[in-house]
Parts: sequence; C-alpha cells; structure tokens
Amino acid sequence: MSVDNDETQQRLKAAVHYTVGRLCQRMGEDHRREFSRQVIAAIAETAFRQCDIFAKDLEAFARHAKRSTVSSEDVKLVARRSTALSIYIQNKSEELNEEQRDLKKKNAGKRKSRDTEEESRE
Amino acid sequence: MTNPYAAERQISHSVENMAEKDAELGFKKETVSKLLSSSFKEDKTRLSGDAALLMAELLKVFVQEAAVRSQKQAESEDCDQVDIEHFEKILPQLLLDF
Repeated sequence: MSVDNDETQQRLKAAVHYTVGRLCQRMGEDHRREFSRQVIAAIAETAFRQCDIFAKDLEAFARHAKRSTVSSEDVKLVARRSTALSIYIQNKSEELNEEQRDLKKKNAGKRKSRDTEEESRE
Repeated sequence: MTNPYAAERQISHSVENMAEKDAELGFKKETVSKLLSSSFKEDKTRLSGDAALLMAELLKVFVQEAAVRSQKQAESEDCDQVDIEHFEKILPQLLLDF
C-alpha cells in the first residue's frame, strides 16, 4: 500500500539523516568547521536520492550477468568512476572474504575436534 | 572548469582518513538493504549480504566526500561555518565523480 510505503520511506530518510548528522558532526569536530543544519539535511537528501540511482544501476548490472541477486561484483562496478574509490571497495570486499574464510575454518576446526572427542569416547 | 584529477586526490584523501577513524560510525547494513531494495524495479531482485555491507561503505564515502568538499569550499571563502551555498557549489562535481 502506498501509505505504508511512504511511512517506510520516511523512516529510511530519517535513518539516513541521523547517520549523516553523526558523520558531519565528527568531521566538523575534526576539521573545526561545522555544518549548518541545512547542509546536513541537504547532504542527507542527496545521499538518499543517490541511493535510488545506485540501486537501479546495481539491478541492471545483476540482470546483465543473468542474476537476480545483486553481488559484490555489481557494487565494484558502481564504484568504477573513481580509481581510489574502486580500490577501496575492492579492498573492503577482500576483507569480507577473508573474514568469511576465517569463520569457516573456525567452524570446521570445531567440528573436527568434536568428532575426535566423540571417537575417543567410543 | 574543475581539475578532474583533483577529484581523484580528494576521494583518495577521504578513503585514507577513514582507515584511521573508522570506528562504528556508518550506515547500518539493514538500513542500506531496505533503502536499495525499495528502488529495485523487479520483485525478484535481491541484495546479497556482502553487497549491502559494501554499499554501506560506499555511502559513507559519498557522505564524507560531500562533507569534506563543502568544508574546503567554506575554507576557500574564509567562512567559519559550512553553509548551503558551499554545498551547492561542490554538488555538481560530486555527482559527476560518483
């Protein structure tokens, strides 16, 4: 229903606005130059609208690859315009992969030690 | 006309500084997920967990770029506070760079 959708959108906007506010507050402190409320609202609004563009691009990229799930590869494409940004996103992606590999190793290790325990009991 | 290479240096500056004070400040995975999903044209399109996390990072950089460029603009005009005119001036190039 469109009413629910409006409410959801408002809540999402508010969430974005909150985070933008916190980020701007910290940057204002770091660089000793603070942001007017109007600017924070404008940055939040811009970020919110930019998400719409990102989302449509992501969907198009996934579809092009014949997938219905947007993956990190699609995100890397969205970040392609700036080399620094592209590298940053690639590094973050690798970090995520490493974390997942470590988790898998940990869980595999747990299972192995459980199995050997059970074996020794038998 | 703005120097196109300036944008590269600026975004590079932003991502370097982030490593120092990453903390926990940023967009939540769930918020980003809902936000992006609401703009998908097809019902079947989903967002992977990793993609959501990466997009949260991307958004964070976007906001920080907007903020730092606005600050630099304010600085170049000798203003103590960052006002809407400063943001408006840097907005076109920001959108082009992303």
